Amino acid sequence: MMRTLAALLTTVLIAGVAGAQGPGDSVPSVTMAPVGKVQLKAGSTANVEIAFRVGSGFHINSNKPKSELLIPTMLKLSPPQQVSIAAIQYPAGQDMSFPFAPTEKLNVYSGDFSITAVVKAPAKATSGVFPVTGELRFQACDRSACYPPRSIPIKFEVAVKSR
Amino acid sequence: MKRNALVFATLLVAILTMLATGTYLDRNRRHGATRLLGDVHGVPAPDFELTSLDGKRVKLSDYRGKAVLLNFWATWCSPCKVEMPWFVDLQKKYGTDGLVILGIAMDDTETPKIAQFASEMGVNYPVLLGTDQVSEAYGNVQFLPTSFYINREGKIIAKGAGLLGRNDIEENIRKALASRVVSINKAQAAPSQQRDPEVQPATQ
Repeated sequence: MMRTLAALLTTVLIAGVAGAQGPGDSVPSVTMAPVGKVQLKAGSTANVEIAFRVGSGFHINSNKPKSELLIPTMLKLSPPQQVSIAAIQYPAGQDMSFPFAPTEKLNVYSGDFSITAVVKAPAKATSGVFPVTGELRFQACDRSACYPPRSIPIKFEVAVKSR
Repeated sequence: MKRNALVFATLLVAILTMLATGTYLDRNRRHGATRLLGDVHGVPAPDFELTSLDGKRVKLSDYRGKAVLLNFWATWCSPCKVEMPWFVDLQKKYGTDGLVILGIAMDDTETPKIAQFASEMGVNYPVLLGTDQVSEAYGNVQFLPTSFYINREGKIIAKGAGLLGRNDIEENIRKALASRVVSINKAQAAPSQQRDPEVQPATQ
């Protein structure tokens, strides 16, 4: 009986604390899932899907927010000389409204989303494993507050095989 | 047996209290009314000197004797946009009573863009260009909007974290205004009573 009550109390306490969260109680997080080594033949391209997760309770602007004042999510990659980034493809955001402006729709990413980087190796590329680094810049908000823009580092490897 | 009943009753009361508190807080959040943090209550507002949109140097201490609503915001902050029309109305309503709203823009954007935005929003109060130093002085403003309500004595009487409801904002403004500067006629006052304008509660 007492154990059951103690378990119930713990559950309610956790739920109560979660329900009472306000702005600043947690920091907005965007995390990147590990990217496996990308295999690429010289003269070809490969689509590298980079998966991200926006922390629960937060959203970030999509790459094409509805206002030029809003800060878009941007992936910037700095490839080594042996490979290049042919394109970066962003997913469409979701049109969502929030309690702070119920009549206004914002175009956002929340939960899981992926950005595709098209990586290209020139025809004369030499064999080797090359790191591609960069950053994802985003600006997050929750239900009643917005947080300054932040960046997280991006890194994956491209294994190029020469012809 | 009696002991078990007592423990059970205590736990039941604790559970019901937490449920009620959680429900209340959640309902407030749904309606845009976030909590007010009381940890800065009574603390003297740190003075600062910032540049306004029209290039003037403005000090917080310039407004001593006024009630000041210090609002940290940015053009990229959608909840901040919700508050601004309220601030415009409240500045009109309470300006003659001694309210000064100071917007502190925490943008990296060029000043003309901030000025254009403020103009489009009809802002009728000074907007200053924020700095990291001022943010740090006010406890590292980590999210926007964040507002500090400063009374006529220059003391913080409330902090609004995130978007508040208009009624909460107005209530805090009234509290900030609820002290008034009383000038003592030095010629009439006895030497021991002579002092600079002082702050007294409005009710006195």
